Amino acid sequence: MSLQSSILGLRRDPRLLKVPPYLSALCIIVGVVWLFLLPLNEYSRSTYVSENALLPGQVHTYFGGSEHNIFRAYRHEVAGLADKSIEERNQKLLEIFKSAGLKVATQKYEYQSAGKTTGGENVYAILQGPRADATEAIALVAAWTTMNGEINHSGVALVLTLARYFKRWSLWSKDLIFIISSDSTAGTQAWVDAYHNAHDPSHVESLPLKSGALQGALAIEYPAGPWGHRFDKIHIVYDGINGQLPNLDLINTAVSVSSQQIGISTCLQRMWKHGDSYEERLQTMLRGMINQGLGHASGPHSSFIPYHIDAITLQTVGDGWHDEMSLGRVVESLFRSLNNLLEHLHQSFFFYLLMQSNRFVSIGTYLPSAMLIAVNFTITSIGLWIKSGRPEKPATKIASTDSKPDSKPDMTIIKQNGMTALVPTATFSVVERRMFLPLAFVGAAHFLGILPLYLFNHAPANTLLPTFQTFAASSLALPLLTAFALSRFRPPTTQETVLIQCFSLLFLGLFLSALATLNFSLSLLIGLLAAPLTFIRRPSPSTTQSQPSSSAMRVLLSVAGLLLLAVLSPSGVVFAATKYWNTPLVDVLLRASFGWQVHGLWTQVVVWLVWWPAWFCGTVVMALGLF
Amino acid sequence: MLSKVLSIFLSIFFYFTCIALGSDYHERLLLRPLPQSALLASFNFRSNTSATSFEQQHFRYFPRSLGQILQHAGTKELHLRFSLGRWDAENWGARPWDGAREGGTGVELWAWVEAESNEEANSRWLTLTNALSGLFCASLNFIDATKTIRPVMTFQPEGHHPNSTTDNLHLLHGTLPHEVVCTENLTPFLKLLPCKGKAGISSLLDGHKLFDASWQSMAIDVRPLCEVDGSGCILEIEQTVDMVLDIDRSKRPRDNPIPRPIKPTDLECDASKPYHAHDSCYPLDKKAEVAWNLKDVFGRPIKGSCPITADRGPDSETVCINVAPEREVQIQTSGGWTESKSEDGFVRCYRIFGDSDFDLNFPSQLVDKTVPLAQPRLYAARSINGYGQERGSVQAVITNPSPVDTIDLIYLESLPWFMKPYIHTLKAAILPSTNSTPTPPIKETYYRPSLDRHRGTHLELLLTVPPVSKVILTYDFEKAILRYTEYPPDANRGFDVAPAVIRLLSPRAPRFPHSTPEALKRGTYLRTTSLLLPLPTPDFSMPYNVIILTSTVMALGFGSIFNPLVRRFVGVEEVGAAGLAGAVRLRGFLRGRVERLRARFGGKGGKGE
Repeated sequence: MSLQSSILGLRRDPRLLKVPPYLSALCIIVGVVWLFLLPLNEYSRSTYVSENALLPGQVHTYFGGSEHNIFRAYRHEVAGLADKSIEERNQKLLEIFKSAGLKVATQKYEYQSAGKTTGGENVYAILQGPRADATEAIALVAAWTTMNGEINHSGVALVLTLARYFKRWSLWSKDLIFIISSDSTAGTQAWVDAYHNAHDPSHVESLPLKSGALQGALAIEYPAGPWGHRFDKIHIVYDGINGQLPNLDLINTAVSVSSQQIGISTCLQRMWKHGDSYEERLQTMLRGMINQGLGHASGPHSSFIPYHIDAITLQTVGDGWHDEMSLGRVVESLFRSLNNLLEHLHQSFFFYLLMQSNRFVSIGTYLPSAMLIAVNFTITSIGLWIKSGRPEKPATKIASTDSKPDSKPDMTIIKQNGMTALVPTATFSVVERRMFLPLAFVGAAHFLGILPLYLFNHAPANTLLPTFQTFAASSLALPLLTAFALSRFRPPTTQETVLIQCFSLLFLGLFLSALATLNFSLSLLIGLLAAPLTFIRRPSPSTTQSQPSSSAMRVLLSVAGLLLLAVLSPSGVVFAATKYWNTPLVDVLLRASFGWQVHGLWTQVVVWLVWWPAWFCGTVVMALGLF
Repeated sequence: MLSKVLSIFLSIFFYFTCIALGSDYHERLLLRPLPQSALLASFNFRSNTSATSFEQQHFRYFPRSLGQILQHAGTKELHLRFSLGRWDAENWGARPWDGAREGGTGVELWAWVEAESNEEANSRWLTLTNALSGLFCASLNFIDATKTIRPVMTFQPEGHHPNSTTDNLHLLHGTLPHEVVCTENLTPFLKLLPCKGKAGISSLLDGHKLFDASWQSMAIDVRPLCEVDGSGCILEIEQTVDMVLDIDRSKRPRDNPIPRPIKPTDLECDASKPYHAHDSCYPLDKKAEVAWNLKDVFGRPIKGSCPITADRGPDSETVCINVAPEREVQIQTSGGWTESKSEDGFVRCYRIFGDSDFDLNFPSQLVDKTVPLAQPRLYAARSINGYGQERGSVQAVITNPSPVDTIDLIYLESLPWFMKPYIHTLKAAILPSTNSTPTPPIKETYYRPSLDRHRGTHLELLLTVPPVSKVILTYDFEKAILRYTEYPPDANRGFDVAPAVIRLLSPRAPRFPHSTPEALKRGTYLRTTSLLLPLPTPDFSMPYNVIILTSTVMALGFGSIFNPLVRRFVGVEEVGAAGLAGAVRLRGFLRGRVERLRARFGGKGGKGE
């Protein structure tokens, strides 16, 4: 009984309102520490192949011998096509595919983004599984140009040779599709969209030839020229559009086939050297998270993943002693494994963070980190909501000039269990919340986010940079102007300010916790960058004694807060990130716009419609302190 | 040219079909090399029995096992298909038998069952499928009401049914698209033959080769045939096996089937390439036709002739090859044989005497004139569009390559109940749209909506395809969510949707002079490939986890509650002396016994010492 009553008593304790910011801070700290614990042996796991049907590396690979002669010839052919027109090039590729006895077709596409046209023509060939019934298929992709813009000489030649080699086997239970896409990202996107009839026929040609449901896709990038180049490692790229990932089994199979069967070591996330130390694991994981958070196309495979087609890209890196035949055998063995599949890959994880090619954490382990960070906004928001319902503190009443000096607070007599108490009525009363201004303000802020979203995705390339600069400048000035205008025409009460912040944080917390289950990394990154929004409060003149020194202090505080928020504004972060990674800002903007137009990238939506409005609300609240 | 090609092509099958009411047993093998070193082998077996002896259960060449099933299930006409793979019309041309002797991937069965009412027909159909399931070792018993439809326009009886009974004939049709056809289906198939695969052309049918084929279809057709004047009827069973073998693949020995890279010295290279060297080789297409013989391709030669085939006439010629007249063929046999050639020289038929092995040897030869391929009159492809777990759409593209003929066809879809089409989204577009106001390609629609868990969707369309154009048929559908016990094993694979059946109605005979009435009666058919429909699938470990967890909690709860409920707790002092006395007495008794035993054994041990 006593415990219950003391808890009930706590409910109205003003000290309780002081807890949420500390609780939020604790959430953030625990969330970040959690993240840093993940690379430890105790929190991460070794990868394992879940799907028994895959049997990675259990087959003998035969790709070699005279196939090497054919490969060399095809590589010369490809090199000879390098400076030909796209029609001529595709004609020759079609001819080679046809001579292998495959069904061939081409597909033209043309995308508009940022006022520029990206076009090309994909060539693809279908090897109909000898006893298959066109219900399932696996794709082997080699883009004509790699992600770095080099010509994928050996990659394309390898696909041509493998197509010819695979044709002789009778064991394919699925159709094999060989795709030579015109470029690494747009070409595959056009192809896979058209394969599912989800394309816009005015830009992308429909596919004249189709097969069954795609069960997996593998892309190879091997830009070595006509005289070959021996490589050291295979770099597995696995990030899909919007941070979606392929089934972990596919990566496990690739790693297992490559490193255990063929003996080529693998690496992830451009970690060319990985000594399996804590720092390297952490670095791999963080790089993976940044790639996932950005959600951009990281290779030809990326476009497949949104269609629930597990796909990875194998890139060759370094100088070593492995040649094209070894890569061919990796592909052969991997295809044999995929061919074994009875079901779509589903056994293993779709949500994971890899920290080495054979170490990962699954969603159950890492999710709390992002959730804790998202929850911190919600906790503060609830705290603010309760606070907004409380009457102003008596101290303010004494300080205020308009209240009657001799008025006593109203008292209420409470009788319970034969006891009587005299309590100020104010502690019971719930102050009515004036919600119109806060709701309208937060709603308007979110609608305002459509403006940058539209601008950056539709501005032509040459105006993209000026647009961004103008927007960045105006987005810094806008909160100040808004705060000034508000304080001038309709000064918001303390309660309304609190409610603005409350709704804004509530929405942010809600959104980020939902996003954490879909794109953990994006949610975590935005949660961390927006974390200061939890702690800012309107530096209020009423909280302290009205002295000139405190007023100056308040302005100083506001300016300091505003500076911090300016640095952590979406445009500020974009700017800082491009400086840090030394990439031109225009490139980032162009790629974002391209991603939106071609790949259906959602990162901008999150940035401009979720993060930016929250930042805007927070900054306006902060700026109100100035006026 | 086209009509000439067609005439050649059709004349081959004319051989098979012109003798409807001939001798009681007939068999023929047609071998036709196809492009890209493929080989079409078309086996046809036909046995007859007179209607009277059938009714008296007097079976001679007609298999008794099947005959009794047909009698028991009241089945008047039966068509059963086992198929694997797909016909590559682009490379292989028109289908054998105009597609009338093939089925969709998996197993397809349709039959005319005699019954007074629909319910009786259904129960007889159930009997039939269950009996055939046992006979052919196939899961035909899974053809239940949800997989059975009653086609209205697509199928016509091939046999002659007296007018008095046609009202009572019910056509039922069922498919199992996921059924994998294999050797266990071939063995019962061969058992139905009078020579049972021991002699005659059926000795070539070997499971290893048949199921390694790129495409194969086994068909059983039972139909009654009557004389024109209505006197004497016979019951005919026709068994057909069509397969397309890859000669290169089939020639590999069974103990070493791996297509290893060939020796670099065996490669045919294009030496004109500037980079041509000992280690670089741009491969050339092989010009010469590959060498093969029956033993290479089928694993064994023909083991003599089946002794019950006809002695003379075209029926006695059991092996036919359809090759260019210049193609060299060597006969390897120790027995006798005769050869006859068709007028144009494209078809050679052989009659085999005795029971010595017979082999045909085709040496490697540079042939500049190949057998012209009959082009198919229609192409059809069907695929699922869209993605996601909720809905999708089906797109069927039907292409009419003919420059003059407008083709009328019937398009039949039998969809499982969990794939719910929206008929209002059914659209047919003609490409390329020539005139501004094209006539709508759909002339008639027969649609029977599905009932959840009771029957599937049945859709039949009468379509018109103008010359040199495509009809693109699309409709959207919704995916149902199944109960978790309704998922089959390997649920994440998706669900197979039966192939669509297309029947060509026109153009009819005049353009095809060699079409026999028999071929017309069979009709011209085309089947699309089956589809794989991914349905929302639960993580199956989850229900089991829930079951295990719940059971554990239940067991714990039950145990701990049940225990205090049935147990009587009493203090030691509450137990009366009487209650204790019995126990003490029992203990004393037991202790006495033990003491006695111990004393006895102890004593013996003592003596031993």
